[in-house]
Amino acid sequence: MSDMSLLPHGPLLERLLAGEFICAVSDESAFKRLQDDATREAIDSYLRPLNRRVASSQEECVYFLAWRQLDDSARDQLARQLGDTVNSLLPLLEWLQLVQETLGRDSVLSPGDVLKPGELQAKSEDNPSLRERIERLATDSFFGSQSDQLDAQVKQVFKRLREHGYLLQPHGDRQVFLVTGKVDYLLELVRFIRDEEHLPVDDEGEDTQEALL
Amino acid sequence: MNDAETPGLESRLITTGVERLALLGRHAEALMQGYTNDQVPLEGLSHTALRKLLSARIVWRPDEQGGLKLTPKVRELIAEMVADEARRHVNADVAEALELIRSLIQSYRDSSSRGDYWQQEQQLLRLRQAVDDMNGRFADAIDSLWQRLNSDFGFVSQLNDKVRENDRAQKQVIRLLDGLALIDFDELIELVGSDGTLRKVLISQLQQQISQHYTSLREVQHRLIELMARFRRMQARSRLVSGMAAFLREHPGFTPGNYARRSEVPALFNHAAPLTAAGAVALDRAQDMPTISALLQNVPTPSRAAQSVTAARPAEHVEDTLIAARQQALKDDVETFYLNVVDRAEQTPISALDYLNQSELQWPPEIWLFQVIAEHQGLPHSEQRAFHLHQQEERASAYNDVKLIRDVSLGLAV
Repeated sequence: MSDMSLLPHGPLLERLLAGEFICAVSDESAFKRLQDDATREAIDSYLRPLNRRVASSQEECVYFLAWRQLDDSARDQLARQLGDTVNSLLPLLEWLQLVQETLGRDSVLSPGDVLKPGELQAKSEDNPSLRERIERLATDSFFGSQSDQLDAQVKQVFKRLREHGYLLQPHGDRQVFLVTGKVDYLLELVRFIRDEEHLPVDDEGEDTQEALL
Repeated sequence: MNDAETPGLESRLITTGVERLALLGRHAEALMQGYTNDQVPLEGLSHTALRKLLSARIVWRPDEQGGLKLTPKVRELIAEMVADEARRHVNADVAEALELIRSLIQSYRDSSSRGDYWQQEQQLLRLRQAVDDMNGRFADAIDSLWQRLNSDFGFVSQLNDKVRENDRAQKQVIRLLDGLALIDFDELIELVGSDGTLRKVLISQLQQQISQHYTSLREVQHRLIELMARFRRMQARSRLVSGMAAFLREHPGFTPGNYARRSEVPALFNHAAPLTAAGAVALDRAQDMPTISALLQNVPTPSRAAQSVTAARPAEHVEDTLIAARQQALKDDVETFYLNVVDRAEQTPISALDYLNQSELQWPPEIWLFQVIAEHQGLPHSEQRAFHLHQQEERASAYNDVKLIRDVSLGLAV
């Protein structure tokens, strides 16, 4: 609990403070350390003067910093953030659908999945309907592409997703991306909003198989 | 009526079929005993009836010494009719193997008690084969299940098919486990008695193998259930994404409640604003100096082209000389003023400002006064005493005691 024990966590603290989401894909060793209660407590007490604490998503797929005390300015910031999130929902969900359909996958992207913009581009090149969907998506204000070229559009979409922490590019010079745990966080948000607002969106099948274990 | 049209063969088949199906009903009780007890009791069966049952392949004799048994097809038929088909059908394999094993044990013990060692060896060989067969059947089934598991049911591409395949595999596991449960070691121990060879084949070896199968099947079952849960989660994710996207497309103006204003802000939405831990070079610690100077040396040289120095020089030069020239001109004019004072006949002091006005010099009055005073102070002490410099001062205002110099007058101090 002493400050000494935090010494090895400097880079992790910095990333958390910068607002990053830490998951098993983005930083496996940091993620493992955050799974340890004692480490989290030590970080929490260090962050107390900064009015922050370590929080996790419901399924503990990501860790991030939350406000400890919700004063007015914190609430203002959260309200603005919520607005941004809601505005980004549709483009993000459409992107998830698009990737799933274009690459012929039988499920939505999950953390650790590998994505290559080139593959997406190649598969949609000769398909006018896919091209049109990519164009519509890329020119959405969330992705903000100004180009009418498919490769530039795809590139811009990946760039924005990387900036928002949904994708990770392990090697800056290679066009290979990894899906991070923030995708799971996004789906948790969606599920929460659906439940909270009683939206008529069904995902049945979350059934009791696990209870059999 | 149809006799004329029906070929002789078909009519004979029908007659035989009806006759033989009737046998099942006529001997139902005996046959059901054979179904449940392994052997069909001979009591109450006439020689003719037995012959008919045998030729209809409803019952058969595995060997000369053995009892009368139901044929497998009849057993399956009964299992189906009594509706425990699902269990019985698969279990039948194990049950059948067990029956074979039981009878082989019996024969082995018979041969042993007769002292017929050759026969005994033959029976032991068959017993070992029977045990191996039963084992092999489980091992194959488990192997096939692992294959399907490890490929994530990759042999079907659609998630829904995978879910169905997984379901089927789980049912198979349950049937196999039921089959294993049929193997009753207490019974086998009793059958084997004190025979060391049999004990080794049927108890120690088989028990070990069966317990391995049991562990494997439990593991397979566990993994299948886990995988099924994953499949279901994947299905749920896909449905959630497509469902929510469809909803948002239909309701472009949708805004959820303002969770940030609730007394309990949902944990998921409480993501604090980013904070940058900034740092800068500090020179207040001696021990850091080598590092900083090393850093400084490593600072990359700016890539912009160096500006030619000669190009900049004339501009500076012009300005310098211009200022110096004006300075010199002012100095010269003030010196002329001093000489004027010295050369004059009258002894009365001359006002510097009056002189400035009369001589039509262009200097601003303030600059002029400055230079006059500066010139006086710049004189060597001996010469300073030769002049009398009087400053006309006044207070800045009624409340401000700062003295402003309005004019100076210069005269000879004689």
